[in-house]
Amino acid sequence: MLRHTALFLDYELRQTLRNPVWPLFGLLQPVMYLLLFAPLVAKTTVGGTMADTLKLFTPGVMMMIALFGSLFVGFGMISEIRNGYLERLAVSPAWRPAIVLGRTLRDMVVLVVQALVVVALAWLMGMRASVPGLAVMLLLMAATGLLASGLSYGMALALRDENGMGQIMQFFALPVILLTGIMLPMSLAPAWMQAVANFNPLYHAVEAGRSLFDGDFADPSIPLAFGLTLALGALTMTWSVASMRKLAG
Amino acid sequence: MIIEAHGLRKTFTTRRGRGKPEQVEAVRGVDLSVEAGHVFAVLGPNGAGKTTTIRMLATLIPPTAGTARVAGHDVAAEPAEVRRSIGYVGQGGGVDENAPGRAGLVLAGRLGGMTRRRAEERGEELLAAFNLTELAERPIRTLSGGQKRRFALAIGLVNRPPLLFLDEPTSGLDPQNRANLWEEVRSLRGQGTSVLLTTHYLEEADALCDRLVIIDHGLVVAEGAPEELKKQVAGDVVTLRLRHGDAGPARALLSAQPYVREVRAEEETLRVYLDDGEHGLPPLLRALEDGGLPIQSISLDRATLDDVFLRHTGRSLRDAD
Repeated sequence: MLRHTALFLDYELRQTLRNPVWPLFGLLQPVMYLLLFAPLVAKTTVGGTMADTLKLFTPGVMMMIALFGSLFVGFGMISEIRNGYLERLAVSPAWRPAIVLGRTLRDMVVLVVQALVVVALAWLMGMRASVPGLAVMLLLMAATGLLASGLSYGMALALRDENGMGQIMQFFALPVILLTGIMLPMSLAPAWMQAVANFNPLYHAVEAGRSLFDGDFADPSIPLAFGLTLALGALTMTWSVASMRKLAG
Repeated sequence: MIIEAHGLRKTFTTRRGRGKPEQVEAVRGVDLSVEAGHVFAVLGPNGAGKTTTIRMLATLIPPTAGTARVAGHDVAAEPAEVRRSIGYVGQGGGVDENAPGRAGLVLAGRLGGMTRRRAEERGEELLAAFNLTELAERPIRTLSGGQKRRFALAIGLVNRPPLLFLDEPTSGLDPQNRANLWEEVRSLRGQGTSVLLTTHYLEEADALCDRLVIIDHGLVVAEGAPEELKKQVAGDVVTLRLRHGDAGPARALLSAQPYVREVRAEEETLRVYLDDGEHGLPPLLRALEDGGLPIQSISLDRATLDDVFLRHTGRSLRDAD
């Protein structure tokens, strides 16, 4: 079972390496935010230096990569269902959950690499953050990737329709991003919005990321963020694996 | 027997819009037995239940009722064991469109339990056998339909399965590629691989298979070797065109002839089934002349599987879709 998961991971990673331009393209949006939005935020906060702003802003950009990089991975799967590729894998000796697990692991690897690029850029722009905190943040990102990929594959297997899926994912993504405090800190928001944001796992992940960048490992947002993303990730993965098991039910 | 199926049924529940759920009986009780080493065809018009049948046998969907043993294992109770013994090539081909064919071959071999080295060797063997070595590093989506089909077939064969399922293997292929694929199926048979294929082409079933079933509306209407089935209808068919209005009396006249097995009318055309066309044709011509029924055109052919289909369903396979 593990062997099959490793085989699919290997196959998918090689596939990604054959076309590295797409994950690089996926980086453009977060990079734009760093280059074109962070300086703006730096100007609007009183007494905020660029380095401080970047330290607040980079964890949010990392979560954005985790979310947007993973929410749309299911699109490719719909055409694979349609042309019979997944069907053939399903009647091969392959362990069916490995088909999803291998892809999710690939998505997580890609996310971590993308995040490293963004962090390196922020570092060049003057950000300084706790290095152990950064390492833990990468783990948190991978967990968020698990959550979003699981959701995306589950959705692809359930809907089997690119149009429907595009609409639903857009509908999900915008409030989730706005309610993380990536753009502006949630402390500026009215009380009801802050209350709603508490139900957004990504809000906690961004909060945890800011603490981690500060090197503050005692902050309660860190276990909360890990607990939430891992629990929800387990849920979405179970869903997509179960959908894969009864692919042609 | 490498496949033994009894009373296979599949009922799908579909919901159209807001309407109440509708039961669609795709397969309504199919019995099959396929001898090891045979090429076996499931022939029928589109929508007859061929694909549903092959999907049940390949463990892709569970039967609603009935049992099937494939390569010695029950499809419902031991699907994993069945999957180890089969190769399956679906209608779309089922090859990853974005990856090069070689990568797909190696992955299939490794999923079947080979080491990387062994899988690579096996991949090269198949690439050479199917004349694909030059195309091995190109993404599948850039290949032609026939080339894709060859990759699909090669991937289905990586693990040397004793039994290969081919769902509509030549639909959409041009005549040249179809002929090539037929050759490949024949050579598989020569190596002892059993093949179950579905098709709606009569010529394909006739040219390739040792035995076949003809299915229509989810039921088997005939089963046997192609020659045997055609013999049951007749040896030869005379197709006659007569003057307008003559078909009725000609049918009555010919049906009464001792050497005529059966006469079917399709508008102005009569199909007259004879056991022995060469010897039956002269008296038939005389009988029509004596009856004052001039012939517009005439042809004598061997009976085909279409005649078998026509006999059992009352329709021609060519317009059964």
